[in-house]
Amino acid sequence: MLLKSVDHVFWLGRYLERLDDTARLINATSHVLIDSHQDTQFGWPILLDVLGQDSTVLLQKFQQGDTPLTLAQTERAVMTCLINAPDSPVSICATSTALKHNARTLRPLIPRDMWEELNALDLFLQQHCSTAVSRQQRYQLMAEVSRRCQMVVGVLDGTMLRGDAFDLFNIGRHLERADMTTRIMDVLVLQQLQPTQIKRPKFRWLSVLNALGGMESYQYYLARQKGDVDAIDYLLTYADFPRSISYCLNRVAASAKALPHAAAILQDLHQVQVLLKPQALADLSTVQLHSLIDELQAGIIALHQQILAPCQQPAAVVQLSA
Amino acid sequence: MAQSFSGYPQLANCFDELVSATGTARPPADAIARFIERHGSAELIHRQQQLDQTIRSMGVCFTLYNEGQNIDRAWPLDVMPRTIPLSEWRRTSAGLMQRLQALNLFIDDLYHDQRILRAGIVPKDLVLPSKNFLAPCQGVSPPFGVWAHICGTDLVRDERGQFLVLEDNLRVPSGVSYMLENRTVMKRVFPELFADSTIVPVDDYPHQLWKMLASLSPRPGDVPCIVLLTPGIYNSAYFEHSYLAQQMGIELAENTDLQVEADGVYLRALNGLQRVDVIYRRVDDIFLDPTVFRPDSVLGVPGLFHPWAKGQVAIANAPGSGVADDKVIYAYVPQIIEYYLGEKPLIDNVPTYLCADAQQRAYVLANLDKLVVKPANESGGYGILIGPRATEAERAQMAQAIVTNPRNFVAQPTLQLSTAPTLCDGVLEPRHLDLRPFILQGRDLYCSTGGLSRVALRRGSLVVNSSQGGGSKDTWIINDEV
Repeated sequence: MLLKSVDHVFWLGRYLERLDDTARLINATSHVLIDSHQDTQFGWPILLDVLGQDSTVLLQKFQQGDTPLTLAQTERAVMTCLINAPDSPVSICATSTALKHNARTLRPLIPRDMWEELNALDLFLQQHCSTAVSRQQRYQLMAEVSRRCQMVVGVLDGTMLRGDAFDLFNIGRHLERADMTTRIMDVLVLQQLQPTQIKRPKFRWLSVLNALGGMESYQYYLARQKGDVDAIDYLLTYADFPRSISYCLNRVAASAKALPHAAAILQDLHQVQVLLKPQALADLSTVQLHSLIDELQAGIIALHQQILAPCQQPAAVVQLSA
Repeated sequence: MAQSFSGYPQLANCFDELVSATGTARPPADAIARFIERHGSAELIHRQQQLDQTIRSMGVCFTLYNEGQNIDRAWPLDVMPRTIPLSEWRRTSAGLMQRLQALNLFIDDLYHDQRILRAGIVPKDLVLPSKNFLAPCQGVSPPFGVWAHICGTDLVRDERGQFLVLEDNLRVPSGVSYMLENRTVMKRVFPELFADSTIVPVDDYPHQLWKMLASLSPRPGDVPCIVLLTPGIYNSAYFEHSYLAQQMGIELAENTDLQVEADGVYLRALNGLQRVDVIYRRVDDIFLDPTVFRPDSVLGVPGLFHPWAKGQVAIANAPGSGVADDKVIYAYVPQIIEYYLGEKPLIDNVPTYLCADAQQRAYVLANLDKLVVKPANESGGYGILIGPRATEAERAQMAQAIVTNPRNFVAQPTLQLSTAPTLCDGVLEPRHLDLRPFILQGRDLYCSTGGLSRVALRRGSLVVNSSQGGGSKDTWIINDEV
């Protein structure tokens, strides 16, 4: 495999997962809204903030003069930024463009079946995600985006050669998933920062679990755990649930084993894994939980850089293999 | 009884590929005519829609460069195939292989003893000052004495139905991926026709290409490392580059993925540097190595020329092979075949007037309204003047250009290119077309089964290039020998 393809395969995995997870983030939060009382104010701009965007800047463009946006207008504007705004780097459309670019670059590594599935996904997004949709349509649409992303992964799993490219794709996918799970959690943590600062708030987060496809397995988990656990423990540490941080990190470790720079990756990975020791989670306040999420995200960034380290070397440094 | 093609507005004075002069289907097109008779044109329109959908989901596209932007367009494929009987194709492909063999002997001669120039068969003045004659290549001996390993020859049929060679593309001929994908699409859209007829498969090509490239390896016996060198994702033929790399299972490299060392060329791979044996380059030769050819090239690999000249790595097509891809040299190909092979050409040229010759130039200038004038070194259908369709001003402009630089132009009579029924706005109409087969030469010779049929979609147009409104057809070689 070409050295430069390391970057592209890894990002192919990240972008594909990001599409899926952005759709899930949208549906998770839409559900929170449905679950909450009518007079609860849901802070839509937080969705952009957790994705690393400055919501104030992004939303300014939607304002007419000095009149602040109404709640309904804010929701629409945030959804536009997440789904189809061409200048929003976190939108599904922008991610899809990046995904397509990566796939084209990697065409020789991609089996025909997966190539066609990727094209179908792109055509679907162009057709359905380029205009604003109502809240009711949105739910169906996002569920369909997730479903189609998983079709691509399924086809790939059934056809792609097992080798460095397959491993890097899976590393990208699981690192992105870990990252997005922390961001989806952060939305709810940030919602609850005000007005309370209670020790270990009891999160039920059923809507989030629903959007992550983890509702039933959460019940399964609750019925079998000793002690007082909740959705936080579940999403962070329950390694049997394929969207928990622990699971994702385990998968990164498994996929990294055969790479030439496995040792460096596993070392960085360990730094993130130690943050998830269960005893450390028991007494966290909301604020502490938020900063734990920050630490996890910083660890994921370091890991990302470590994975791509080989292709950052200048040409002259590449050594002859034995 | 032969199936009729009722209602098809055949053109007078043109050979139609599918329909005979009496309006019935030619034997290889019989199954298609019956299909239309049975299902009607509504079904044809339906299949065209299915076909378009298939092309989009398969991501078959080409890139247009327009107003500073790269635009991906879905590949245009007409639902109606073009048929050729196998018996005729055998003769044609033998002629194509004969031609490539002679051209390679010619190129090798030019870079060594130049016997043909000394014999006065081809004028020295037309070859040595040509910008396609790359002086640094003199004395280099690529494997088997072969320089142009991959050739895309454009064929047309005249009004009698005779195949003629229009031009030889020896630099970086493209289009074969579309030939292959056209077939994949058609098999999905017309499964019943493939079940009922004896259409010869085309999917052997990628393996033949790989085998030819492998035969060039300087380390025979070892598994060769072959890479396809592309200018990158923004090149108009990138689809084809990535497609062929995938079909052959080889790496798709850009210049920055390659590194020249004292003992050869290496690929920058995840597991370290990997020795490269053969480079299938899709970069023009003058851009290949900025230290030897164009110094301003950003697509090249500095120093690449030397390991090639020393035989440490093979390059296909070899640098310098473009010397025979020149519309002036084209006029001499019949003599070149006779000189090297002692044979008569199996396929004729289109009569060609060289503007470099005073007498022929005078004829061209006096008959601009009847001739097609072509620049000697352009591709993609650019810079061509079709005399009978041009305006007075365009002809005057061309006359001026010819007088200024006569070496740069050739002229040919305006041919009545053959036609084939093509679905245009829901009805079948005749449209002009050509055919580009792909011929390979390494240790062995090979010719593709049929080729890429390109069709001018505008009524009356003779321009088949996809960048200028051309479409394509799947080419069916029908086995008439069973």
